[in-house]
Amino acid sequence: MDAVEKANADRQRRWTKDRKVGEGTYAVVYQGREAATGRKVAIKKIKVGQFKDGLDMSAIREVKYLRELHHQNVIENLNLVLEFLDTDLEMIIKDRTLVFLPADIKAWIAMTFRGLEFCHRNFILHRDLKPNNLLIASDGQLKLADFGLARDMADPGYKMTCQVITRWYRPPELLFGARYYSTGVDIWSVGCIFAELMLRTPYLPGESDMDQLKTTFRALGTPTEEDWPGHTKLPDYVPVGQFPKTPLRELFTAASGDALNLLQRCLTYEPRKRISAREALTHPYFTALPYPSHLSKLPKTASQIAAATRVQEEVEGNVDQSAPGPAVRAAPPNRLKRKMSGDEIGRSVARKLDFSQPATQG
Amino acid sequence: MIMAVETLPSTPPQSDGQSSSKKPIYEGSTQFRNWRFSAAQLHATRTSLNAGAVAAIRHTFEANSPGSSSDIQFLTAEEEILLVKLYVTKITQLCGHFRFPEEVEATAVSYLKRFYLKNTVMDWHPKNVMLTALFLATKTTNHPISLEAYTSNIPRTAPSDVLDLEFLVAQSLAFEFAIWHVHRALWGLWLDLQDLPDPPSTEKLQQCYDTALQHVRTSRMTDADLIYTPSQIALACMSLADADLAARWARSKDAEAALDIIESIKDLIKGDGTVPSVEVVREIDRRLRLCKNPEKVVGSKAYLAKKEQDEKDAEMKRAKKADLTRKAMEESDPFGTELSTEAQNIAELDEDD
Repeated sequence: MDAVEKANADRQRRWTKDRKVGEGTYAVVYQGREAATGRKVAIKKIKVGQFKDGLDMSAIREVKYLRELHHQNVIENLNLVLEFLDTDLEMIIKDRTLVFLPADIKAWIAMTFRGLEFCHRNFILHRDLKPNNLLIASDGQLKLADFGLARDMADPGYKMTCQVITRWYRPPELLFGARYYSTGVDIWSVGCIFAELMLRTPYLPGESDMDQLKTTFRALGTPTEEDWPGHTKLPDYVPVGQFPKTPLRELFTAASGDALNLLQRCLTYEPRKRISAREALTHPYFTALPYPSHLSKLPKTASQIAAATRVQEEVEGNVDQSAPGPAVRAAPPNRLKRKMSGDEIGRSVARKLDFSQPATQG
Repeated sequence: MIMAVETLPSTPPQSDGQSSSKKPIYEGSTQFRNWRFSAAQLHATRTSLNAGAVAAIRHTFEANSPGSSSDIQFLTAEEEILLVKLYVTKITQLCGHFRFPEEVEATAVSYLKRFYLKNTVMDWHPKNVMLTALFLATKTTNHPISLEAYTSNIPRTAPSDVLDLEFLVAQSLAFEFAIWHVHRALWGLWLDLQDLPDPPSTEKLQQCYDTALQHVRTSRMTDADLIYTPSQIALACMSLADADLAARWARSKDAEAALDIIESIKDLIKGDGTVPSVEVVREIDRRLRLCKNPEKVVGSKAYLAKKEQDEKDAEMKRAKKADLTRKAMEESDPFGTELSTEAQNIAELDEDD
């Protein structure tokens, strides 16, 4: 056995695979444990030998960036073994049993900006921020995940693709085909997530790329040349109709002035005028009352509570490894999770109490 | 935004295990943490890799036909380096041919050099490793081209020459694909120089930058990037082009201590930056044909034996697993495992999505 094979075998022995939890285009995801500590991890087994161009670009991107980024608000990568997280922000938003306090939203958005600021400080654009890529650890810590579309910021004058970011979170410059862009694209996504946290429903749910522009302009008003100089010169610019500007206040009736100001600065049409992640961290919203909720006080889904209980049981020596896993997080596209979290709606807390329930479905 | 050149000289890493946002970005990189060595460490690594490979290959030869290894002249660690160096120059040629940007070239060279800190040329010949490293670099730096277009433009190369090694190369790099480049640091230096009070004329600056960039390219032939930070090497290259200008830059940044460090880098570039002579390398390559690991030569007796053994091992593993599964099925309460089976089923449904 040569050195690399041996090192690899040693590394493999550090982890045990418990069960398969999902499968994406380029990887199969298992839930497993670190042998030495029992710490729960997600193991991504990259598929090799089925793509005609070798290792998949998304896999390469994800691995490349996660190897470099170590931060409390970025998912931790231990050599294709990722920390296992119980839930994500999308599930939390959709869980109708949970009530969000303004302080909770503030805490989530603060953690999102903190993780994003770290990426941007490392010259990395995430390019796929959305609630289900913001994972939540059992202690409540929010972590940026899924770096399959991430890339280094290009030098001025180098084109990047505009086919990035899930449509509802995609900024208008990308919809207009801009090939030169920067950190502003991620900030727009955070703005959409911020709005979604307050509304508990996606803020700009366009049905097609064209409809996305219309939906955006309907909500925020059609940009003028003064709002956004030069936007009519973008490659795919098309006029999509004139919509008046309605103050954010009309839709976000309960939000504080600071919150609306930050939201408005994230959803600014002119990308260069959008707030940066760094500036956002010092925005008065975060220092005004109410202060962001403590991690332990953040709303938790039933699956998180179940996971936390299990951790407790393990501490007490009552390890039940065959117990149903927490809600699954698989590689994108992850319709599985959509299905599961969809099922949760309207099922309310009963799910937590009625353990026979899973057996009755399909 | 302009990427600033890191402050010189760099301080040793603080192994507090904590991710601190205060330390320079570079010190959080895998390059800083896992791919920087002293010259002595590099030497020790290569010598022990070489010795290990010689012992293993000798063993394989003897197992096949006793006494057959006695008159084989195995490569020394130094000879291995020369061969790798030659293939570094091939990367440059190929990049010129494909018109790949400098980032691709520099990345591929780093991959090739890092690969041979984990493997020896007697196991894996640098020709295909070089082709694979370059192809991987096009993907990791966001300049992907199709494998078809890649291999059809390189004589006597099939897609499998690249694909077969891709995972091995990625794994040898520990999937640490991000490289901090010297030419980027030099670009930062050049931007800084234009900001000096009383800057030199534009022509002079341009000339100095062009010369320094040539030195950067030469430095890729050496171990410099495995020992020093990109900004240290960039400053050394600048100093080779115009020592006075480099010193002025250092003074403007209160980093005069760096000027001492760069002297040894300058020596390294001047001493080791030469392309090995074709005759010497050809002779090494001729001997390599006789001493390369037969287990890695497709079709050889040893290769087939190894493959058979691997398959046997895999079969045993599968049998063991099937056995365990069956046992688990027989022993478990049919009513007790419903929940986990359910979760499993859901997880598997997702495969078709």
